Amino acid sequence: MNPTPGGTARGVYEERIAEIRSNFESNGDGLHAAAARSSLVDGLVMQFWEEQVAANARLGKGVAVCAIGGFGRGQLFPYSDVDLMFSVEKGAEKLAKEPIRSVSQSLWDCGLQVSCVARPLGECERLDPANPEFALALLDLRWLGGDQGTFARLKEKSVAKLRSRDGEAIGIELAKLTSERHAKFGDTLFHLEPNVKDCPGGLRDANVRQWLAGLRAGKNAQSVAMASSPSTEEFQEAVAFLAAVRCFLHYRNERDDNTLDWQTQDAAAKHRVGLPGSGRGTVDAAYWMRTYFRHARVIEKCLLREAESAGLEVESPSAVRRIRVPEDAGFQLKAGVLELAQASSSGVDAAYEPEIVLAAFRAMAESGARLSQGSEERIANAVPRLSSNLEEGPGLWRQLSAILIGQRAGHALRAMHALGVLELILPEFHGIDALVIRDAYHRYTVDEHTFVLIDTLHGLKADPKKDARKEVEEWRVKFGAIVAELQNPGLLYLAAVLHDTGKGRVSENHAAESARLAQSVLSRLEMDAYDGGVVMRLIETHLEMSAAMRRDIFDAETVRAFVAKIQTHELLRMLTLFTYADIAAVHPDALTPWKAENLWRLYIATANQLDRNVDEVRVHTRVSRGALGGWRKDEKITRVLSLVPGREAAMEQFLEGFPERYVSTRSAETMRQHFEMTQHFAEDPFQMTFQHGATQSGSAMSEITLVTRDRPRLFAGMAAALAAWGMNVVTADAFANQAGVVVDTFRFTDTFKTLELNDSERDRFLSSVRDLVAGRASVEKLLSGRRRAKRRPPRVAVETKIEFDETASSHSTLLQVIAQDIPGLLRAISATLSERGHNVEVALVDTEGETAIDVFYLTTDGKRLTVEQEMELRQGLIEAIAANTR
Amino acid sequence: MQKIEAIIQPSKLDAVKDALVEAGISGITIFEARGHGRQKGHTEFYRGREYAVDLLPKVKLELVVSDDMKDKAIEAIISVARTGRIGDGKIFVSRIDEAIRIRNDERGEIAL
Repeated sequence: MNPTPGGTARGVYEERIAEIRSNFESNGDGLHAAAARSSLVDGLVMQFWEEQVAANARLGKGVAVCAIGGFGRGQLFPYSDVDLMFSVEKGAEKLAKEPIRSVSQSLWDCGLQVSCVARPLGECERLDPANPEFALALLDLRWLGGDQGTFARLKEKSVAKLRSRDGEAIGIELAKLTSERHAKFGDTLFHLEPNVKDCPGGLRDANVRQWLAGLRAGKNAQSVAMASSPSTEEFQEAVAFLAAVRCFLHYRNERDDNTLDWQTQDAAAKHRVGLPGSGRGTVDAAYWMRTYFRHARVIEKCLLREAESAGLEVESPSAVRRIRVPEDAGFQLKAGVLELAQASSSGVDAAYEPEIVLAAFRAMAESGARLSQGSEERIANAVPRLSSNLEEGPGLWRQLSAILIGQRAGHALRAMHALGVLELILPEFHGIDALVIRDAYHRYTVDEHTFVLIDTLHGLKADPKKDARKEVEEWRVKFGAIVAELQNPGLLYLAAVLHDTGKGRVSENHAAESARLAQSVLSRLEMDAYDGGVVMRLIETHLEMSAAMRRDIFDAETVRAFVAKIQTHELLRMLTLFTYADIAAVHPDALTPWKAENLWRLYIATANQLDRNVDEVRVHTRVSRGALGGWRKDEKITRVLSLVPGREAAMEQFLEGFPERYVSTRSAETMRQHFEMTQHFAEDPFQMTFQHGATQSGSAMSEITLVTRDRPRLFAGMAAALAAWGMNVVTADAFANQAGVVVDTFRFTDTFKTLELNDSERDRFLSSVRDLVAGRASVEKLLSGRRRAKRRPPRVAVETKIEFDETASSHSTLLQVIAQDIPGLLRAISATLSERGHNVEVALVDTEGETAIDVFYLTTDGKRLTVEQEMELRQGLIEAIAANTR
Repeated sequence: MQKIEAIIQPSKLDAVKDALVEAGISGITIFEARGHGRQKGHTEFYRGREYAVDLLPKVKLELVVSDDMKDKAIEAIISVARTGRIGDGKIFVSRIDEAIRIRNDERGEIAL
């Protein structure tokens, strides 16, 4: 480059740079702009070097001027550093030292950020483990000028030696550096403000892919990678898009800043950066970001494939668990890679069979294995066929639930999402695909936030991590103990998947919008009212605990207000875990020990308060106090009334006087069903519903509800019948309305699988329960023939604690029994109560791991228990519980 | 210049921030803190299990104001953070010799 008359080298350089910028602004071609700058700098470097050679001709021998790194690739983005290497033969080092310094100075004077090194040939022959970056920079070596013979010796001897001897080690170092870089970005490309160079799926990953390809083939990196990949075109498009974005960022920020912040996203969308038809109007920023993520996904995918071919791991290392895969599963799992069979047992391509594909994702969720490149492509192509073959209903929920509860569910869900399988099952998820929601706290896109939340929930169950911050780790372990107490964790994970789907719609309340979307998911999965209710309430209330934490959590009123919204221990447990994970998924430092501690305190305070005052707060259908404190008819009661047109008065009579806990824990449809049952008392005064369900873990959780008129020993009779049949009660509640109609519900597991294995036994079981509560059969006789399960010693011994509370209700005595959860416990307690003539006004039975927590509101002859009665009952309970334990 | 350090109930943070902004003070640093004054610790039970509660969650605010804003800032904090119950917190005031804005080396009150 020769200066124009009167101009300086810098002036000329800046003039040309302005031309390159102007061209970019009109054609939007980032790769071309980067190549043009590289070519411009080539000329500048050689101009300065030749000036040195002209001054001292001895420099013409033994010194080669080389470009390395991005400059070596011929890609210099507007503000990128220039990596220059002078390869020096023995004996020329001293001579070249000052001229090299002078060239470097001249380049800096032109405004270039130059990194200039002089290396003897021998130093380029081997990998320096302390500086693997230099070996990587040599992979992009390019001759600029100087002694051609020196360059030939460098390339064909030294660098060739480096590649052949240390190629494998360089590949390993490269994978390690990549894995560390990805970890810095949380191993995800879905950042709200991504770095287009260093984030997973960024331009650096595109380079890594080229280097790996080159190392694998032992040839020139670029030509091999381009030729060997089936997705070359897609990859090139993605690189061109990101190159345009990077150029745009550099010009906009006037420095080497590669962070795509919100303002730049708006500006890039306005200028259609990277999109065809530059200058043809603007595009929406959300659409433009989705395009960015689509291209970044391509680069990440191509890199992973290249790494897979090279036998390297560029994702953060996480052990793949060994799991057993049946021979006829339709897929194989080998060395952490899952391969779909070409044809299933029915002869059809396995990728077309939803059962097999979902089972494969389940295996990924359980093991952490990844899909092979071929299987991924086949599933992606098969999505339209899968769509028509997919059957909805309980079968689909079973499969989805099995994926969700797998320890690596987040990993499997990401793969399902990327291939379009998740949207096939849950189209509601599409609205949050790569969605950027701008707030000052979140780091990830909405879909990725969801997956990180699920990862966090599963992480609670993992073994303590030695390298984690101690104060955070302690809380993780504490909250992790709650996970073990969940009765149906699949519901929590489903709520997690759906909780932010409402953000994809225009709505002021995303929780309500997500709940609305979830409603259609639950009906497609044909989920039962109880389970569906849990999912709905979790989604609706998923911000409530965070909101309560902003109030005074030591204030009884704050806790009472929160209790009114939560109502059950199971929901409290799930919401606590959900809140923990939701905060943690905002960004890596969002969950401080301080926040974790506050959450824990609110959890404990709520749990302690949850079963108090239940007997006191009752439904008054005509004037039910609303949540806002005004007198209005409760929204839910209005909904129930709308289900029985023409019979509203009778329904109001039915609901009148039930504890509010009954209304808040039942769906409108369930209450309508109970009401209808009361209309058939004339035919049968003991109305029952029975639902035999299977949870994802394989142990059946069944539910039986009795609706009848109140009479002595009802609750005890039900508990005895269930105990006699070997059923283990997990939760139960009993409520009565003002007219004396009782609704007793028991949820239990079938210890001996009696009902699961023998359909005919279900009728016998129901008739036995009916006979017992009607007093037509003897409890003692039934119990004498019962089978007793072989008891294993408990993992955690629970001491029996009996507590009476006179302050919880104005007309009844609260009894709380905490004891080791053993089959027959509820029967032993309720029999003790009924033998002493104590009436159960309200019962709330719960299980947390190996601890049973049973709460009863008791009266005797319509009054609270006397101190003497309490003392006598305490003794009776201690003896009965001890006898049941033996 | 005066430094005001206030230890308050976490639930009062939003109200205190608003009150300070209304008083014309916007620069504030917030720390999550734990501690106890005269409240001391106590034991809580959770479904039969015992938990020691020795340190309570608090929020610590730090702000530096010009001398003439000191009383206004203190009043703003007290007006919303006071409930009259034990645990409302404390305010500490100390003198500041110098303030420097790192960006442009401005010094003194102008740097606040």
